[in-house]
Amino acid sequence: MHIPDGYLSPATCGSMYAVAVPFWYLAVNRVRKVLTNRTVPVLALFAAFSFVLMMFNVPLPGGTTGHAVGGTLLAIVLGPWAAVLGVSVVLGIQALFFGDGGLLTFGANCFNMAIVLPLVGYFIYKVIASNSEATSPRRLLAAVAGSYLAIVAASFAAGLELGIQPTLFHAADGTPLYAPYGLNVALPAMLIGHLLIAGPVEAVVTGGVFAYLQRSHSSLIKADAPRKKEGKLWLLWGALGLLAFATPLGLLASGTAWGEWGVDELKNMGLGFIPQGLEKLAGWWPAPLPDYGFPRMGAVIGYILSAVVGIALVAFLLWMLGRWLSRKSLAKQESSAKEASIE
Amino acid sequence: MKGEGFLTKNISNFTHTLESVILTEDLCHAPGLLQSLDSRVKVVTFVLFIVTVGLARSLAILGTIFVLILIFSFLSKVSLRFFLKRVLLFIPIFTAVIALPALFITPGEPLIAVAGKLIITEQGARTAVLLFLRVVDSLSFGMLLILTTPWTSILVALRWFRIPSLLVDILGMTYRYIFLLLHTANSMFLARRSRTIGTLSSGENRRWLAIALATTMAKSQHLSEEVYLAMLSRGYQGEVRVLNDLRLKRRDFLWVAFALLAAFILLWGNSL
Amino acid sequence: MTMDAGHIFEAKNLSYDYPGGIAALRRTNFTIGTGELVALVGANGSGKSTLLKLLDGLLFPTEGKLLAFGQPLSEKALKDGAFVTEFRRRVGLVFQDPDVQLFSPTVWDEVTFGPLQLGITKDEVVSRGLKVLELLNIVHLRERPPYLLSGGEKKKVSLASVLSVSPQVLLLDEPTTGLDPWSQGNLIDFLLQWADKGKNLVFSTQDLDLVEEIASRVLVLGAEHNIVADGKPEDFLFDPDFLLRTNLIHEHSHRHKELVHRHPHLHEHHHQQ
Repeated sequence: MHIPDGYLSPATCGSMYAVAVPFWYLAVNRVRKVLTNRTVPVLALFAAFSFVLMMFNVPLPGGTTGHAVGGTLLAIVLGPWAAVLGVSVVLGIQALFFGDGGLLTFGANCFNMAIVLPLVGYFIYKVIASNSEATSPRRLLAAVAGSYLAIVAASFAAGLELGIQPTLFHAADGTPLYAPYGLNVALPAMLIGHLLIAGPVEAVVTGGVFAYLQRSHSSLIKADAPRKKEGKLWLLWGALGLLAFATPLGLLASGTAWGEWGVDELKNMGLGFIPQGLEKLAGWWPAPLPDYGFPRMGAVIGYILSAVVGIALVAFLLWMLGRWLSRKSLAKQESSAKEASIE
Repeated sequence: MKGEGFLTKNISNFTHTLESVILTEDLCHAPGLLQSLDSRVKVVTFVLFIVTVGLARSLAILGTIFVLILIFSFLSKVSLRFFLKRVLLFIPIFTAVIALPALFITPGEPLIAVAGKLIITEQGARTAVLLFLRVVDSLSFGMLLILTTPWTSILVALRWFRIPSLLVDILGMTYRYIFLLLHTANSMFLARRSRTIGTLSSGENRRWLAIALATTMAKSQHLSEEVYLAMLSRGYQGEVRVLNDLRLKRRDFLWVAFALLAAFILLWGNSL
Repeated sequence: MTMDAGHIFEAKNLSYDYPGGIAALRRTNFTIGTGELVALVGANGSGKSTLLKLLDGLLFPTEGKLLAFGQPLSEKALKDGAFVTEFRRRVGLVFQDPDVQLFSPTVWDEVTFGPLQLGITKDEVVSRGLKVLELLNIVHLRERPPYLLSGGEKKKVSLASVLSVSPQVLLLDEPTTGLDPWSQGNLIDFLLQWADKGKNLVFSTQDLDLVEEIASRVLVLGAEHNIVADGKPEDFLFDPDFLLRTNLIHEHSHRHKELVHRHPHLHEHHHQQ
């Protein structure tokens, strides 16, 4: 699934870097907090292991072979954020030192394989496994399902990135300048390939290694249930992520969204009278991004960029809210702990 | 023999990677043009070139860039055959295969008809060649960077670009241990192959693969703990301090000027 | 924090358990003074590596105390930056597995790692690095990454990486394992020369000849994970019964035609009888 340079426009590459950076930042902070001084040797050795894993040529029943990514496996053993960093490191080494995967598309490749893949895989794993025993079959199923769905999700993201290229970036005569297939070809192509081959390979590798770990090194598997609050937060992020994915699909639909009519649209629809309040309001709030478009850019780029900015804003507000709430509950915990302290 | 195929394929993969590293080590120190440039300058200008490749809109520009690439590689003592083999094999060929349907299904003015019914459109032809050239050009720059720059210099450049030292330390250590783990995995495969008579079923291979992987993972885990102690033992207290002795020479400035000029001229060609 | 250079190490009822609960060391007591060249011997699993790691402040006692230069080597003490720097400047450990010891991208990086972490100035670091490379005849390996080194070269670089810090105490975990006889001889000569300037050596080994050639003192670890003997090598190294009991040698038999010659496998000594 490594997208080489040339398939994505520099603008898309730039946007994907912008999307990846906050995740990397978050990952570094989270990992450092847990691993502290051990961060360098642990991540380095596990990234080295991931590299070797990615090199294995895996046989499937029926004769086909493929390569796995192993992001979900890494997330299960080391935690999701360590997996984000670990897979990013491997992709970086592949791009910088082996010429496998582009330098400009590094952001996009990381988003697909180092961010979407491990986070989705871990989320599904946690949801299915919940608090079952480290050696239980349920956990094995969770690992297999999580890894399969994770790589399919990653391929969906890749398909989106590739599929929007012709619409957004073409010459005056219609020649696509980068990846030449639209969403209606790119998405099915990526999905089918991963549902049928790369997905099973990923599931086989993850399941096989996980099962062996369960038998011989079960200490590497942590069996704690996801904390309730953590689970709800994941659900929220997952929903937001899904929405973010869906925005480019808006390009497939034509016409304006129902209910989002401006004054002119209403007039055209035959509503001769315009609700008076609407007319007054229309001029009052000069939204910084009128009609979802950045000034002086192609309408479609504007649409997507607005989606990114909009989601970033919403996410930021939610994060602030979350911080404020957890600080409140932490203060409450501390005061009750003081009362109940045993010394 | 199916069973042997699986083991042999993996062994040759590993061996190939291990050996290619030794090859590139020598080339990095050859007395060529690109080798003599500061690694930071190389990284920046090569990224600039790849962006130029990304922004170019005409086949002529992309073709010119490829000629430039060949000149650079010649001046850097990289043999043409070796270079083309490394660049063209796999990714560009893969791209050509992927782009094939685009010849026919891209809407536009018909160009020529193939086998009677199938029509290649002008837009289809252009988009396929555009993609192919872009991929070849970008990949070539990436390859040239790797072939002419010791990876440790690339790490120093990354540090200088203010990429967090934690990440650069991890990158360096990961690269260092990849070869150890590859070697370990390779030995496991070789041992297994020497004990294999006849074919193994796909399922047996998968089972053994899982064991090989899990064993490698456990070894990584063990190594990570020991390496941490080794780092502590030598005074590591959370952040690696490094020596930094990169110096820019006159030719580095000339090269940057050249790169900027070339990029400007090439992109001006877009408006033609 | 002042360091008392009288006793280098002092162990009082030192015990260590592995995280699972299995005992590695039980109630060991000893002191090591300046200039002593101490050999740690014992069968595999007797706790030699663990003891070296304890002496290097990488592991902490589960019971008892360990003092270095008069200061306790506890987890708390090793959180103090100044103490750590001073301690690491004086004591260096060469790990048994060179692939663990050599974690840096190149030999040069490895050799300069120690001095750099201790805050030594850049020029001094470079000069020490060059000196130590010359000392061990590995200047030509300077830009090599560790995975392109032979086994013997790796061991040399491992040693160099610790010597560049100019420690007073050198801890070595099985220094001659895996080395060919010529390299072993070289290493022994080197260590003797280095230690000649009043430095301390503490090394673990299975090779009794090495003990004989270098050590001024031997600590024998027994099957119960405690010290069963502590003294000069000649005091008990030529006692075959003792050696058999502590699993330091095995009983060996071979045939001279119909005669079965059974003797403890100790080199020239039994022939002297």
